[in-house]
Amino acid sequence: MSIIVAARPSQEARVSPGFRFAMLLPGGLVTFFLILFALGLVVFLAFRGNDGSLLGAGMTVANFVTVATDPLYWTVTLRSLVIAGLVTLATVVTAYPVAYYLAFHAGRRRSLLLFLVTLPFWTSYLLRVFAWKIVLAYNGVLNSAFIESGLWSEPTLAFLNTPAAVVVTLAHAYAPFAILPIYVALDTIPRSLLEAASDLGARPFTSFRRVVLPNSMPGVLAAALVVFVPTVGDYVTPAMVGGPASTMIGTLIQSQFGKANDWPFGAALSVCVMLVILCVVLVARGADRRFGSRT
Amino acid sequence: MAFHLKSITGHKARAGLAALALALSSTVALAAEKLQYFTWSGYELPDFNKSFLAAHPDGVEATIFGDDDDAFTKVKAGFRPDIAHPCYDKVARWNKEGLLQPIDTKRIKNWDSIFPVFKNLPDLQAGDGKVWMVPWDWGNTSILYRTDLVKNPEASWNLLWDKQYAGRMATIDAVHDTPIVAALLAGVNPFDMTPDQMDKVAAKLREQRPLLSSYTTDMTSVEQALASGQLVAAMTWNASATSLKKQGVPVEFMKPKEGMLTWACGFVMLKDAKNVDLAYDFINSRLDADSGKFLIQSYGYGSSLSTAFAGVSKEELDKLQLPSDPDVMLKSTIFTGPMKQNDDVAKMFEKVKAGG
Repeated sequence: MSIIVAARPSQEARVSPGFRFAMLLPGGLVTFFLILFALGLVVFLAFRGNDGSLLGAGMTVANFVTVATDPLYWTVTLRSLVIAGLVTLATVVTAYPVAYYLAFHAGRRRSLLLFLVTLPFWTSYLLRVFAWKIVLAYNGVLNSAFIESGLWSEPTLAFLNTPAAVVVTLAHAYAPFAILPIYVALDTIPRSLLEAASDLGARPFTSFRRVVLPNSMPGVLAAALVVFVPTVGDYVTPAMVGGPASTMIGTLIQSQFGKANDWPFGAALSVCVMLVILCVVLVARGADRRFGSRT
Repeated sequence: MAFHLKSITGHKARAGLAALALALSSTVALAAEKLQYFTWSGYELPDFNKSFLAAHPDGVEATIFGDDDDAFTKVKAGFRPDIAHPCYDKVARWNKEGLLQPIDTKRIKNWDSIFPVFKNLPDLQAGDGKVWMVPWDWGNTSILYRTDLVKNPEASWNLLWDKQYAGRMATIDAVHDTPIVAALLAGVNPFDMTPDQMDKVAAKLREQRPLLSSYTTDMTSVEQALASGQLVAAMTWNASATSLKKQGVPVEFMKPKEGMLTWACGFVMLKDAKNVDLAYDFINSRLDADSGKFLIQSYGYGSSLSTAFAGVSKEELDKLQLPSDPDVMLKSTIFTGPMKQNDDVAKMFEKVKAGG
């Protein structure tokens, strides 16, 4: 043990600065150009006025004033947060039992099931949205099934082009992102804790509530974050299955860079959404520190 | 001997290098030789430019846009096709941004057969026998409705505001379609409006939003929804009417009393087009009478060529609700020219769509 500890500093000293530089270079370049530079450009653009040119003109805070004072942007942001929140809730609640089964009961079938969980990723996301369109459509799978079974006589319009359709589609698409972190969290719970719980007389439900659930909270919170953050900004799904009532903030940002041709305003909206998401992430981290730690 | 060997290997190496260089240059040449064409979905069909493809097999690569405002921002952001296919109302806007180069009408062999009404459009003129856009197609925007589900409606754009059909209507997600109609109904000049008038148009659009199942440019979905009965009426272009009638769906393309919208589109050449000669060949091929005839018969759109109409029978044109002379059409319709406040209307429309 002591030999290893002693060997360490000398080993590190032997790594030449050139080698270390070469190792850090690709990551550094990616971070700088693709993330920091791009982000800087968005922030810069957000403070420009729109004159139709690529980078705008003059420095102004007018874009932010518009975002803050027009109730529309608050409504749409709130709608995005609610839809993303519902998607997160639906995804985590449905993913938990799957992850639980995978961790505790799957046995020899575990690798097969894990493979099946990731299987939807083999097709494009757009195709999966189209598949949902077919399921939810007026003459789609769901409506036909209900009519065949005699539950109702006429197809309903209530499935497609509603916020609910957006929630269902997104929850399905993001399921693996929730299943995997929860599975990892459950899988790393020491089995001795469960044995100890039953030795002390805990019924299965009690040991789930007091041992398994608290220990898996970091996974659940990670899953919630991984699902929530990208879905707030999603714009393809509401455009395809949502109808006018589920326009999300991503749609609005996209239209500023497209038809509305006001890039600085689109950039300002993006910056505001990033700040809102940052707040949500901070709240989630606070919750993680308070409820999620393994004690 | 050694010298001999060396010379052989040297020769081989040089030959190999030459072959490699040749292969490289030929792939470069091939890549450069393909004409980059940026167009509406459905406009990339090979039947529209048969003679071009005969002369340059596989010589065109098409990129598709959903609407020419999106196309504009994409080109502005740095996408560089050789030719694009916007509509007339956008030409001045593209031009103002310095994206276009003039097209020499002397190199367009069928220029004289193009209807004067299109040739003489003001925003096309680049002076000195040159134009900014070569007109190719024209058509109408109106309401396509199911005759069995909407019984004897009044011939008016107001159908798309009728609460009876809430949730079963769709409209086109483009500035030069839905907001123009809203302006017509609000009694405002769509092509030049004051801020007050724009508020009126916005109010009209707001009234319509809760009644719509979607704002879309995806005409395939609209056609399918009309065929299934999910939608009973939608704003569409001629092609959807032609296609659904061919399928035997009971639909009618309305002639609203406020007037259908008539649009004209065509080819523009981008300023830094790499394949100018190919572009002229392509435009000329598209202006073959046969190509125009195919456009009329398959999509029900008008061709810009009088010679293309010569090949289509009177009965067929009647069935397509297409007069053989665009002047006749324009007497009863509203021509979508440039909108002075295009950007402001676009912003307003985006806000209304989002619920504002």
